[in-house]
Amino acid sequence: MNAVHRPSKAETVSAVPILRTQKLTVRFDEFPAVRDVDLSIADGELRVIIGANGAGKSTLLDLLCGKTLPSEGEIWLRDRNITGIGEAAIARSGVGRKFQTPTVFKDMTVLENLQVASNRRVRVFQNLFDRVKSGPNDKEVAVAERTGLLGSLKRKASELSHGQLQWLELAMVLSQDPKIILLDEPAAGMTAAETDKTAELLLDLAGSHTVLVIEHDMAFVRRICKTITVMHQGAVLAEGTAEEIEGNPAVIEAYLGSATLSHA
Amino acid sequence: MTYRTASIIAYIAFFAVVLALPLVLNSFWTNRVAIYLVYSICAIGISMSWGYAGILSLGQGLFFGMGAYMLAMSLTLAVPENNPVPQLMLLNMEPNAVRDLCCVTTGSFLWIPFRSIAVGMIAGIVVPCILAAGIGYVMFKRRTTGVYVSIITLAFALIGQLLIINNQPLTGGFNGLADLALLEIGGFEFDPYGPSAYYAVALTLIAVILLARYMLTGRIGQVLKAIREDEARARYLGYDVENFKVFIFCVSAGVAGLAGMLFTITSEFATPSLMATSLSISMVIWAATGGRASLLGACVGALIVNFVGSLASESATFQPVWPIILGLLFVFVVLFMPNGIAGIFKAFIERSGRTERLGEARPSGKTERADKSERVQTELTAREA
Ligand SMILES: Nc1ncnc2c1ncn2[C@@H]1O[C@H](COP(=O)(O)OP(=O)(O)O)[C@@H](O)[C@H]1O
Ligand SMILES: [Mg+2]
Repeated sequence: MNAVHRPSKAETVSAVPILRTQKLTVRFDEFPAVRDVDLSIADGELRVIIGANGAGKSTLLDLLCGKTLPSEGEIWLRDRNITGIGEAAIARSGVGRKFQTPTVFKDMTVLENLQVASNRRVRVFQNLFDRVKSGPNDKEVAVAERTGLLGSLKRKASELSHGQLQWLELAMVLSQDPKIILLDEPAAGMTAAETDKTAELLLDLAGSHTVLVIEHDMAFVRRICKTITVMHQGAVLAEGTAEEIEGNPAVIEAYLGSATLSHA
Repeated sequence: MTYRTASIIAYIAFFAVVLALPLVLNSFWTNRVAIYLVYSICAIGISMSWGYAGILSLGQGLFFGMGAYMLAMSLTLAVPENNPVPQLMLLNMEPNAVRDLCCVTTGSFLWIPFRSIAVGMIAGIVVPCILAAGIGYVMFKRRTTGVYVSIITLAFALIGQLLIINNQPLTGGFNGLADLALLEIGGFEFDPYGPSAYYAVALTLIAVILLARYMLTGRIGQVLKAIREDEARARYLGYDVENFKVFIFCVSAGVAGLAGMLFTITSEFATPSLMATSLSISMVIWAATGGRASLLGACVGALIVNFVGSLASESATFQPVWPIILGLLFVFVVLFMPNGIAGIFKAFIERSGRTERLGEARPSGKTERADKSERVQTELTAREA
């Protein structure tokens, strides 16, 4: 295996990290889909993870949100060890996850989806006597406006276009008020115009939110991000600015060498 | 007419009919319909767990039977000849055992609390709830879903039925408990063939519908619906999905237990057949026919299927094939009417609503819509700019 190249990252990690992993590893039948990943995301950072298909990017997010239990290693959110506490508890502690294929409540309206997401009283008996408003509250209007769904609040999610579904899921994650947002290929399957809008949205989020994005498209990545983490065969291959990454021989050899770089 | 208005009218009409029926029915039919209304309560229980939360229990008869037995035990002890020890226990007594509920047969002490009718009535709801909480907790914490939930609940109902059949000295075995006093509360007697028992059932049914509707149209109904749609998504939003499932499973069991008690009042017996697989599955068929995601639909489904079933049972031709018809009905409903009668009602109202709007209010309706879409369009462009 190539040695891990770690170019200077003076630019990124200055504050206390909001999310930190230590030697995070998961094996599926001996096959290490993610191995020894030490990740450190600063508060307010917008970080992109790139890597070839099967590099373990989605699996890394699965580990972070509790979908998959790590074989080894730990995940810390600020000063709390959230390893193995369960998906719901991880979500409540402030991790919001958007999946690669949009997962929303298809048979419910956009507004209902947002209401379920923004309801922070998640215990059974807190909900027992709680009524649901028929219209959106300010917070729901704001998040729908931000994601371009304001005109679709009363529509069933199953009637939305693919791009709108991606935004709806993003809107739901935002409604959770997460400390960190995990986005798996948010622009996948979007038209050029939709991709542009998504890029704007992510830039708009950066600063006020900590965001960890998986993305394929280098042009898109260069637009939205300062620090890039490159994954290769389950491990972190390199970390740095777009220029540093694109000039990194190991990265070029492993990943960028071919199509992606040339058309980017 | 909006669907919401139409369904409120449907509920009110249903309540009115249910309350008025004893005025026109003879005592035989008063009793019959009361029993069908008991089945409606069962169907509501199914609708709550299956229709709203996607939990298909095929063991609802277990909870129904337990409710029936709990009250039947109290009503057995209320018969003077069964004091201090029920006849069924005397028949199975060891030659020199003490003639007291404490020790006349093995386990007979379990009957002691049921000397009080109030205990029997509370236990009829609470015991099924507790059992359901236990079963539900184990199932849902282990993330059992779908058909496995159905199989496990089915198995529990079978176990329950066997336990009752095999413990004859304690439970009356195969014959169950049939030597019962009439329920009497504060000097008021509930006559199974008179309006009193009927109204006890009818008012309970209405109360259950209203409470269930209040609950399920509220926040918890929304969360349950979300869980039914995509359990994993609900988890990543921070909901402890299993707790919600245990809760609704438990409530549904309590409703079944309540129905079981009313069954004892109206039928004057409790037998292990109440826990038979066929009854549990019938309950699912009732709810499916009426519309599992509609409380009123499930109710009406239970009434219609049972009414037709009882007509069939009086005809020599139809009586033997009724179970087959019921099975085919279920297949038909699942394949072609996934939302049952309630679904058809909804489609009908929505279609007639559309025609009405197009026919009568075309000009104003159209401009209004155009205005709105124009406004949205301007808004969108403004935002994009
Ligand atoms: N649940 C699983 N069981 C077995 N193998 C898995 C599982 N999830 C992911 N993998 C494997 O782990 C590797 C990384 O997958 P993934 O994280 O989806 O890659 P990426 O998102 O970077 O394209 C792939 O080889 C995939 O086949
Ligand atoms: Mg992936």
